[in-house]
Amino acid sequence: MAKTIVITSGKGGVGKTTSTAALGAGLAMAGKKTVVIDFDVGLRNLDMIMGCERRVVFDFINVIHGEAKLKQALIKDKRLENLAVLPTSQTRDKDALTRDGVEKVMEELRDEFDYILCDSPAGIERGAHMAMYFADEAVVVTNPEVSSVRDSDRVLGLLSSKTKRAEKGEGPVPGKLLLTRYDPARVTKGDMLNVDDVLEILAIPLLGIIPESPSVLKASNLGMPVAMDEESTAGKAYRDAVQRLMGQQIEHRILAPERPSFFQRIFGRTA
Amino acid sequence: MTRSEAQTSVSSSVAPFQIRGRSFTAVVLELIGPADAAFYAALDTKLALAPHFFSNAPFVIDLDRAQGLARSGDFTGLVRELRSRRLSLVGVQNGSMEQNTAALTAGLIPLSGGRDLASVPGSDDSGAAASEGNAPDTAGREGASGAPSQAEPEQRQGTLLITEPVRSGQRVFADSGDLVVVSSVGSGAELIAVGNIHVYGSLRGRALAGVNGDPAARIFCASLEAELIAIAGLYKTSDDIGGTHLKQRVQAYLRDDALVVEALK
Repeated sequence: MAKTIVITSGKGGVGKTTSTAALGAGLAMAGKKTVVIDFDVGLRNLDMIMGCERRVVFDFINVIHGEAKLKQALIKDKRLENLAVLPTSQTRDKDALTRDGVEKVMEELRDEFDYILCDSPAGIERGAHMAMYFADEAVVVTNPEVSSVRDSDRVLGLLSSKTKRAEKGEGPVPGKLLLTRYDPARVTKGDMLNVDDVLEILAIPLLGIIPESPSVLKASNLGMPVAMDEESTAGKAYRDAVQRLMGQQIEHRILAPERPSFFQRIFGRTA
Repeated sequence: MTRSEAQTSVSSSVAPFQIRGRSFTAVVLELIGPADAAFYAALDTKLALAPHFFSNAPFVIDLDRAQGLARSGDFTGLVRELRSRRLSLVGVQNGSMEQNTAALTAGLIPLSGGRDLASVPGSDDSGAAASEGNAPDTAGREGASGAPSQAEPEQRQGTLLITEPVRSGQRVFADSGDLVVVSSVGSGAELIAVGNIHVYGSLRGRALAGVNGDPAARIFCASLEAELIAIAGLYKTSDDIGGTHLKQRVQAYLRDDALVVEALK
C-alpha cells in the first residue's frame, strides 16, 4: 500500500520539481518502488528534470481520459530500476484534470508502488488542489525568503482544509518543511531568513535544508536528479532528507552561527 | 456671496457631522394574536414585575403571529398605548407588505435580520422559567473548543477557542464573544471577533475586535507583528503602530476614541 506525498509550495520556482526528482531518486536508490507524477499540466518540467523527455508517448491526461493505459504512460527510469515517471501533457491545461480521473490513477498506482510523489504546480488553484487532494503527507518546499514563507503558510492552511483527509475529518495532511536554496553566508550576513525564523513562522517539522548549489542547475540540464550526484552538497542533503522521510532521525547538518535575526536588522536601527 | 464663493467656503470647512455604524440591542415583543385589551392587561402584569428594565430600550414588534394589525391607524394606536407605558416602539419585524407600509406611515421602521442574544435581563429566557427559543446562557460563558474554522463558523455561545496555527489566508470569525488563539496567526490571516481577541502567540495577520461596535473590546497578544488591528471599526496598520511595540506582549484598546497600544507588564 503506497504512501502518497505531495511536493508543494505555493510560490513558484522554489524547487518543487527539483525536489520531487531528487526525493524520488533517493527513495528508489534506497530500494523503494517509487513513481513521480507531474501535475503541472501545460507547463510540464518533471520529464525534463528526470531526463526522459525524449521517451514520452502517452501522459497522465491521456490516462485520465481513457485514451491510454497507465502502463503505456509510465516511463521507467533507465538508471534506477525502482523509479518510474508519469509525465503530464504539454498541450492541454489544468482543466483536463478531473477528481475522479486522478483518483482512479492513484488507486492503480497504489497497488504497484511504495511511494507516490506528486509534483504540484505553483499556485493554489486547480492543479495544486488536485496534486494535494489525495495526499497522505506533504513536503512544503520553501525558500528562506519572506514571500515564499507566506505562500507556504497559505498552502499549509489549504492542506488542513481542502484535502480528502481533511474533508473526511481525518485531520490535516501533515506537512514537513524542505528549506531549499539555503545560503549560510547570506544568513550570517542577515540578508536571508534563518532556519529558526522560518520554523517559527511555519511551525511544522523540518525535513531538510538543501543548500544553494551550482550542481542543481547542472543536474537539471543533464536530466539527472541531483540526489544521484555523489559529490554535490545539495545531493547529499536530499539523500539525508530521504532518510528522514522514511522515518530515520538524522541530525540537520547546516548550523548557523550567532547573528542578529532578520527582523532585528530591519527594525533595530535607532533613529 | 456668489455661488463659487459659497462652494469654496463649504469645501474648505470641516464637515459638521460624522456617520458611524453603531449597534444597539432592541427588545423584541412577539405579538401572538390581536393587540386587544387582554394583550395590554398581560403586558401590564409583565411590566409590573420588572418596571424599569424596559424603559430605555428600543422596542420592536414581531408581527409573525400577530392578528388585526393592518392599517397605519392600528400601528399609531399601538405606539400610543406602549408610549403610555413608557415603552418606545421603534420598529416592526416579519410583517407583510401591507403591514410594513402601514407601520412606516405610523413612523415605525420595518426591520429585517437581527440575531437573538443569549439572554436579555427581564426576558422570558432568564431565570428558571421554561423557555422556547434561545438556549439560556445565564450561568456565564461556556468555552467551546474547536478546530480551526475555515469558511462557515458555527453559532457559538461564548468564546471561540483555536488551538492550531491560523494560516495565511484563513479567516476566523467569533460571532458571539471572544476569540482566543493558543498559537500563532500567520501573515495574511484574519481574526474577527464581536468581543475581545487574545493571541497567545505571534499575531502576524489582522485582528478586528468589537466588530459589532463594542468600543470596550480589546486585543491582547504575546508578540505584536500585526498587519492591521482594529477595534469597533477604528484601525491602525502596522505602519501606524510603528516599531516601538514590535514583537512585544501588548494590549490594544480604545481611549478617547483613539486606538492605543500598550505593553503588558
